[in-house]
Amino acid sequence: MTKYVIESDKIGTVGDEFIPAEGINVDALLEGGFISTAGETKSHKVKLEPKE
Amino acid sequence: MATSTYLSNPVVTINSVDISDQCTAASLTKTVEALESTAFGGTARVYVGGLQANEITLTLYNSFAATETYATLSGLVGSSTNITVKPTSAATSATNPIFTITGCYLESLPIVNASLGELDTIDLTFQGGLYSVAIV
Repeated sequence: MTKYVIESDKIGTVGDEFIPAEGINVDALLEGGFISTAGETKSHKVKLEPKE
Repeated sequence: MATSTYLSNPVVTINSVDISDQCTAASLTKTVEALESTAFGGTARVYVGGLQANEITLTLYNSFAATETYATLSGLVGSSTNITVKPTSAATSATNPIFTITGCYLESLPIVNASLGELDTIDLTFQGGLYSVAIV
C-alpha cells in the first residue's frame, strides 16, 4: 500500500503521513502538490567532494 | 422566544484541503427526491423519499499560487471527491456539527473570471454524493 506524506499545511501537519479517507481524490492532491508519495519528498542538495 | 446569534464563518474543505481562506460563500442543500406514490382512491398527492440529490455551491477567490484554489481544483474536474462544511472553526460538537458530502461530482471549473479592477472569483457547484453529519 502506497504511503503519502503531507506537503502542505492546508491538509495537515507537514511531514506527517497522510491517510486518505474513502472518497478522497489522491491523484488530485498529488497533482496539486499537497502530498507526495513516501520516499519521493523533495531531496536535499548534496555537495559532492570534488574528485581528485 | 429563544434566539441565538449565528455568524456565518464556516470552515470548508475540498478533497481534504482547507480552502476557507479563499471562500466567501458556501451553500449546502440536502435533497431527497420525491417519488409520487399517489394511488387510485387517494384524495391528495402523496410522496415517498427517493435517492439523495445533494448539492453544494461555493464561491472562491481564484488563485494560481502553489497549493491554493487552482491547485486544489484542477485535478477534480470530471471526478468525485468529499467536501466538508462546519459552521465555525470551533471544535466539532452538537452545536457546531460538521457536514460531509461524500462522493460529490465537479462537472466544470471556471479557469478565469476576470474583470478590470476586481478580484477573480469563481462559483463552483458540486452535485450528488452522500450527505452525513457528525457531532464529534
